Amino acid sequence: MDVKTELRKSWIIMIKEFKQILRKKAFMIPLFLFPIVMIIFFGYGMGGTVKNVDILVINDDTGTASSSLVQEIGSFIPKYGDVKMFSIIYTKDMGQSEAERKIDAGLYKAVLIIPQDYSERMARNESVTLTLLTDSSDTTSSGIIINFMKQLFAGTSNSLVSLNIPDIYGKLQYIDFLTPAIIALTVFIGTIQTMGYAIAGERQDGTLVRIMMTPVSRGAVILGKTLHQLILQLARAMVLIIGAIVILGVKMNGSWLLVALVLIIFTFGAVGLGIAISAVSEDMISFQAISMLVAFPSMFATGVFYPLSSVPDWMRWIAYIVPLTYANDAMRTIMVKGQGLAFIANDLIILLFFAVFYFGLGVYLFRREA
Amino acid sequence: MESIIEVRNLTKVFKSRGRKITAVSDVSFDINKGEIFSMIGPNGAGKSTIFAMMTTLIKPTSGSIKVAGFDAENEDDRIRPVIGIVPQKLSLYPDLTARENLELMGNLYDVPKKVMEERIEYYLKLVNLETHANRFTGGFSGGMKQRLSVISAVIHDPQIIFWDEPTTGLDPQTRQAIWKLARKFNTEGKTLIFTTHYMDEADKLCDRVAVMNAGKLMALDTPENLKKTSNSASLEDVFIHLTGEEIRD
Ligand SMILES: Nc1ncnc2c1ncn2[C@@H]1O[C@H](COP(=O)(O)OP(=O)(O)OP(=O)(O)O)[C@@H](O)[C@H]1O
Ligand SMILES: [Mg+2]
Repeated sequence: MDVKTELRKSWIIMIKEFKQILRKKAFMIPLFLFPIVMIIFFGYGMGGTVKNVDILVINDDTGTASSSLVQEIGSFIPKYGDVKMFSIIYTKDMGQSEAERKIDAGLYKAVLIIPQDYSERMARNESVTLTLLTDSSDTTSSGIIINFMKQLFAGTSNSLVSLNIPDIYGKLQYIDFLTPAIIALTVFIGTIQTMGYAIAGERQDGTLVRIMMTPVSRGAVILGKTLHQLILQLARAMVLIIGAIVILGVKMNGSWLLVALVLIIFTFGAVGLGIAISAVSEDMISFQAISMLVAFPSMFATGVFYPLSSVPDWMRWIAYIVPLTYANDAMRTIMVKGQGLAFIANDLIILLFFAVFYFGLGVYLFRREA
Repeated sequence: MESIIEVRNLTKVFKSRGRKITAVSDVSFDINKGEIFSMIGPNGAGKSTIFAMMTTLIKPTSGSIKVAGFDAENEDDRIRPVIGIVPQKLSLYPDLTARENLELMGNLYDVPKKVMEERIEYYLKLVNLETHANRFTGGFSGGMKQRLSVISAVIHDPQIIFWDEPTTGLDPQTRQAIWKLARKFNTEGKTLIFTTHYMDEADKLCDRVAVMNAGKLMALDTPENLKKTSNSASLEDVFIHLTGEEIRD
């Protein structure tokens, strides 16, 4: 069969897929609602944003260096709109164990202890160690505070008083971090699931075999279903991103075209994986079971909900072999950091590799079964 | 007699979970152009497997098949347009309407739009489904589904029609209607090949019957000759005589 016929047949299959999926209201609604619910629940529920977090500064030093440090801390607190991230309370003559009890009691998220000899040592150009206690039960807040303090001291150790806190850490909200990855995650899981219905489901109800009996090649069947997936997932991602921007005020700093490029390559891989899983599962139930096995590690090991740097080493190794990791990174680089092609080139190459591999595998397995 | 299908030394071995199942074992026969040919045999005899090979859905392990002069293994794209298939397992899209199911088939077989719409109207009327044309087939009864399956296999006006157990599980009215269609298609010159577990259907309807058992072809002749040679009063007796009395797994 020539290419034109193949394409026409693919088109027929694609249109059929759209007709079917648009009628599955019970399937379509969660397809769009699920990610929005995830973003809202995780974005706000997990307390990603810190506002008015109480930090206690114990200053037992009476010198000038410490009082200027205290001033700096006060003046460089990042804000969201009008609300400060931290409120600083100053005190003196408090020991470390008492400070720890205050944190235990939830009175402060962090305590910074400035030692008695701070000014003295600074004057003599000697190194000095400040103690920062944080409430590590609240990982988000403590992470943000530690980052803030690190930035602060990175600035002052240069003896010049100028402090620089880049936006990337200072003003980033958790939801900005979360959304790009949720989009990638939902595209991934959504593709695998709908692909499952489109293949394992059709195999179960016999319609796939019926199609295979007509003058249409397996390639055209796959192409039709793939085109359908690409359009569906791309449209879905765009609706979600726009929704997140309009409703949740999420930032979109980069190029839509790049987002589309990343998602197209990524969807290809996911389609392949979906076909491969369908090919090895006998019915819908086994498909669901296997796809869960694939989806869960992807969800939790790839840094969707927390930075990859915070997961244990063994989990990071899993992350490296899961395509979603690279899609997350690329999506964040574009949407949050607003970077261009050069910064996502590595991710794209790896995603392309995954896409070719999984798609090849899927097509191979699909063709083999007969 | 001009033969339209030639099956030679056909064998199919399935490998499933480490076990080898010989579903079809060294079977040879011809089907004549324009005849009604039926295949009978106990469950698991290999009827559907032979159908799947004749309709180019699966490849033989060994042996060859020619359909309308084309080799089933290498020229499946020439065969598919001239055959129409009603599979054993009903296979309509439940979330498409009857008309959409038919249109999908028409499109996949490259039937020109105008011709297709005419045929759809004609066939829907023929099987009394015209008032249900715009209903989703998910809500159809077994008989309605089967009638629709039968006509969706002829939208492209094939020369050869394969029906795998077209009447199983249907009421007498629907069975009658389906056999009326069979005769009609046959008088239009189409060759009809079907399987059935109803001996009276094979007896009354077809020109020749192939009796399969455990992958082997036990006998092939007209119903009359089969009855005569095994000295049986009915085809059912012939069947038991040739395939034994034990129940198949
Ligand atoms: N895809 C397959 N994989 C493994 N074994 C198979 C496969 N398809 C059929 N078989 C086996 O091949 C044998 C013949 O099956 P087939 O479906 O051809 O029988 P049949 O004559 O159509 O039976 P029935 O009257 O029940 O429809 C059976 O033992 C069946 O289990
Ligand atoms: Mg069968």
